[in-house]
This record gives sequence, structure tokens and C-alpha cells, in this order.
Amino acid sequence: MSSTDTETFRDLKAAATSHRGDRVFNRTITAAAFTALVVLAGIAIFLGLQTIPAFQSQGISFITTTEWDINTDPPTAGIWGMLYGSVLLAVIGLVIAVPASLLLSIFMVFIAPRRLASALTNLIDLMAAIPSVILGLWAFYILNPTAEEWQQLLNQYLGWIPIFENTSGNFLGTPFIAGFVLAIMMIPIITSVTREVLARTPPELVNAAESLGCSLWTMLRFVALPYGRGGIVGGIMLGLGRALGETIAVFFVLKLVFETNWYHIIESGGGSVATLIVSRFGEVSGEFELSLLLAAGFFLFVMTLVVNVIANLIVARTGRLQK
Amino acid sequence: MTVTFDPSTLPELQNQPIQRPWRRKPMRFTLSIIVASIIPIAIVAALFFTTNLPGAILMTVIYFPLQLIASAIAAVVSRGTRGIVDSIIIVNAIGATIFSLVVLFSVIGSLIVRGFSALSAHFIYQNNVYVSPSTPLEYGGIGHALLGTIIIVAISGLIAVPIGVATAIYITEVRGRAVPYVRFFVQAMSGVPSVVAGLFILTIIVATGAIDQGAFAGGVAYAILMLPTVARTAEEVLKLVPEDLRTGALALGSTRSRTVFRVVLPAAKTGIITAIILGIARVIGETAPLLLAAGNADATIVNPFGGPIAAVPTYIFNNVALPYPDAVARAWAAALVLLILVGVLFVAARIVGRGRLSSK
Repeated sequence: MSSTDTETFRDLKAAATSHRGDRVFNRTITAAAFTALVVLAGIAIFLGLQTIPAFQSQGISFITTTEWDINTDPPTAGIWGMLYGSVLLAVIGLVIAVPASLLLSIFMVFIAPRRLASALTNLIDLMAAIPSVILGLWAFYILNPTAEEWQQLLNQYLGWIPIFENTSGNFLGTPFIAGFVLAIMMIPIITSVTREVLARTPPELVNAAESLGCSLWTMLRFVALPYGRGGIVGGIMLGLGRALGETIAVFFVLKLVFETNWYHIIESGGGSVATLIVSRFGEVSGEFELSLLLAAGFFLFVMTLVVNVIANLIVARTGRLQK
Repeated sequence: MTVTFDPSTLPELQNQPIQRPWRRKPMRFTLSIIVASIIPIAIVAALFFTTNLPGAILMTVIYFPLQLIASAIAAVVSRGTRGIVDSIIIVNAIGATIFSLVVLFSVIGSLIVRGFSALSAHFIYQNNVYVSPSTPLEYGGIGHALLGTIIIVAISGLIAVPIGVATAIYITEVRGRAVPYVRFFVQAMSGVPSVVAGLFILTIIVATGAIDQGAFAGGVAYAILMLPTVARTAEEVLKLVPEDLRTGALALGSTRSRTVFRVVLPAAKTGIITAIILGIARVIGETAPLLLAAGNADATIVNPFGGPIAAVPTYIFNNVALPYPDAVARAWAAALVLLILVGVLFVAARIVGRGRLSSK
């Protein structure tokens, strides 16, 4: 829209909003538009209030220790292991998903024939639409046996590396499997953003690079990747936000333990805030434990909100730069 | 010396066949690619039939490195050492694509294979009353859960669609001063984890007692997740409505609200439908909010305020890890039904969306 159009539009708008029905209309729409803010504020306030009983009874150790024993007197509860576990799972997921999504989008944009690329786009979108409970079911029955075998082999041949240590001999319910499932959920999210960003690389730059004799790699290294860097980082952050909040799929494949599993990724047992909430909710012992879960939910909300806001700011800024 | 252009040669120039010398690939190029793709797979196939190494290990530990080396050699033959990095990228990119497709088809395939065994006509309409996890598959079904899902999604749609479309109208039609902020909040809202949406409704239930666990509470939790999807998609489609339609309507003396309701929204009708479909597809498989806000039930419940209600995702959730094969079979069948629902919505959104593009 050109600037004269905008000006005409503003004049017309000014003339038209003098009408009483329009004032009502404008106010209703404006009020509705702020629902998102109201909901966000509501979540922050309602869940934030619930952190008060948690901190009153546990003090700062609520977020620095990892114990969950509600029936003792006084009860002990700490979610550090869960907060750390969420991040660990997300990092494992990112280690798998980021290279996979980048390569996938490079394949779709620069290598594959157009028809194959558009078919792939649809399939990846379909992958994003698979509900997490279905992925959890699949992971529980199909992925688990395979992953168990693979982890045993990893442990057998690379067990001398600390992260592949396993002393219990139990290879199910490990952070690795949970991270792998998260990676499957992140791949379509990251791919759809990076694919769009790479596809927006100006064709004249790509053609110029190729006519100067650049190979695919040099073209990616000096043209496409620097050009899309912001969008790619933003897409990764969006995937990270999704991974931190994922509940159900992780619930089925991770054995929740109230110990901090620092880095033994193929050792059974780990933590995740979202999964803690769902798994404890079923057998919640009373109002006090419920408020602890709500407080944990508040920290999950803050964590994902921060990641998501940063991601959107990065994506929006690159969008502006590229236009 | 001056170069002059003789216009009489123009038709001759135009009629020349298009030549793309840079596209012509030398024989050794094609040949090396064929050889590099056949040899590794032949070696692995030979190993597969002569030894008893598991297939997956053969593929990753032997085939993949072998393919990398073969492609690198082919790259050196056809393009010199500069081609090596390219060949590594291409092999890895194809590998990543195959990996994603294997995962996708494994999920869909396992659902179809395992889900069909328990799927039957009565599975779609019967409910779960008098059915225990060990009851044989001749009895019981997800009728109550399907109805629950429909009620909950309908409630969330009734809440989220008007608000979402209104948000989009604010951004594209009213264009108030707060547009960037509204956009920002909608995007921030789209990042709210589903379990947090459920917890939020739960705190309202616990703190105020105004509503109880049930279809309405579940629908409100779903609406929180649906709203950003509807708002963002509707914003995109309203932007596609030509500016001339708006100015034209206003010039004819129409008020702002009339312009929106009589001109802009009808023009973007299919797009709004796409937004609604995408919003439904976003929420229909969400489990965590329903576990917290809607509860679970075995009977068929129609009243949105009539206490805990079942839905397809929670039905799957409750049957997955039970130690009874029939319960697990029910979970697979219900998951297949859910995936079919998602697939139908997915295809519907594509078809409606395509109609919009072609009529433009």
C-alpha cells in the first residue's frame, strides 16, 4: 500500500468514525484485541500468586533443591531437578533437531526439484500436526525397543565418555529417548521457519554467487546462511519454546525421578517441569501439593514466555531487515 | 570501433534455440554419480544377506560413512576437490530428509497397522461404561470421547473464533495505535504451553469455584491455545483483501462496521474458514489441558457443565500404558481415529486455502 493510499484511508476513517455505531464497533473490536494481554496477565497473576505458599513453606530451596516428599512433617519440595531436566531434554532435542532441520531446509530450497520440495513441505507440515499424545504412544511402543538397543550399543562402545555412562543397566526412560521425541516435534517447527528464510534469499545474490563459481557450500556459507541467520536463530528458539513446554509425549518415555540427572543421558531417570505437573496431578495429596504444582507451572510459563518473546523479536527484526 | 545493433537480426536471434551450456553435464559427471550411489548400497546389501548384522546398524555404521566416501570420490572425479564439501552436504541433506520421512511414515504406518485391529463400527459409537481394561474388544468404544471432543472443540471455537477474528480486524481494519503491542501479545500467547493453559483454568476452578471440571472448562483451556492461531491466520487473510474494496465501500457512504461486515469479511470468507480449521487442528489433539481442566468419564455426557467429560486424547492417554493388550489396542485405534480427524482437517485447510488462491 502506498503512502497516498494510507492518507486517503486515514481521512476516510476519520470521516467515518464520527458515526455512533462505528464508535461502538471500534471499542468492541479494540476490547477484543486486548484479550491476549488479559489472558497472559491472568496466567501470570493467578499462577504467580500460587508461588507464595510454595516459597513460604520451602523458601528458596523450592527452586534450588530436588526432593519431593509431601507427607513428611515439614514437607519438602524442590523443583530444581525438573527445571534443569527440562533444559537438558531441550538441549538433547536441539542437538538432534537443529542440524536435521537445517539440512532438511537446505535440501528443500537448494537441492530438491521443485515438485519434490513442495511435496516435502506438505509432509513436514503434516508432521507438525501430529498430536503429541500420538507421538507419545508411538514412542512408547515403537521407538522404545529400538532406542534401548541403540543406547546399549552406545554404552558398550562409547561408555568411556561420561555422558554415555550407564551403571544401572536400565536403558528405558532415559533423557536421550525423551530428547529424541522432542527433536521429532521440533524438526517441523524449525524447518518451516528456516525453509522460508532460506527461500527468501534474493535469487540475484544466489545467481551471482553461482556465476562467480561458488560451490553450493560457499554459496551457503557466504550468502544464504548469513542472510538468514536471524530467522534461523529465531526458528530454533521457537522450537526450544515448544520443547520446554511439551508434556504428554515426554510423560510416556521419561522415568521421572526426584534426583538431578546432570549429564547421564542414557541412564534411566530424568526430570521435566511439564511432566511433573501431569504425573503428580493424578495422585495429588491435597491443596498444598496442588499449589506446589501450580507454582511449578508458573516457572514453566515464565521460561517459555521468555524464550518465545526473544524468538519472536529475532524473527520480526530479520523480517524487517529482509524487506 | 562502434558496435551497432541491426534490428533485422532480431527475429533470427529470438528464434535461436535456448542454449544453456552451464546446464550440460559431462558424461563422467552422471556416471560418477550413478557409480557412487550403486556401490555402497550393493556392499551393504551383500553384507546384509551374508552376515547377520542388524539392518539399522548396517545402515548407520557402514552404509552412511561408505556413502559419504563414495560421494566425495565422485565429487573429486567430476568437479575436483572443491566438490567434496558439497557432496558431504548433499548426502547429509538427503539423509536428514530420509530420517524425517522414516519417522513420519513409521508413526503413520504403526497407527494404521496396530489401530485397525481394534477399529470397528461399534468402536466409533459405543461408550466406555461397563468396560474395564481387560474387557475384550467386542465391547466398548470411543463414542463418548468423540462426542466430548466435539463439544469441547465447539465451545473453544465459539470463544476463540470471534475474539481471534476481532483481533485480526483490529490489526488490519481498525488499525489503532496499539497494533504492534496487540501483535506482540498474540505471538507471546501462541507460546503458552498447553499444560500451562490447563493449569490456569484449574486455578480459576480451585480459586473461585465458579466452574467445575468439565466440557466448558476444557473448552476455555482449548480456546487459549486456539486464539493465537485463529488471530494470526485471519490477520494474514484479511491483509490479502484488496484495499480498493475498503475505500470503495467507504466512498459509497458505508460506515466502518458495515464495510467490515458486508465487504471485507465476505471477501475473506474462505480465508476465515481456513483460520478456523487451522485453529481446530491446533487444539484437537491436545491432552494436557483436558487432563487438568476437563477430567475423565466413562459415560456419554452432553451437558457442558455436567461434570468431568471424556475426550479422544485423554482416552488414549488413559489406555496407553495399561498392562492389558486390549486396552492398548483401544489406545491405538483411538489414536488412528484422532490422526484421521487431524488429517481431514489438514486436507480441508489445504483445499479451502487453494480455492482462495485460485479465485484471486
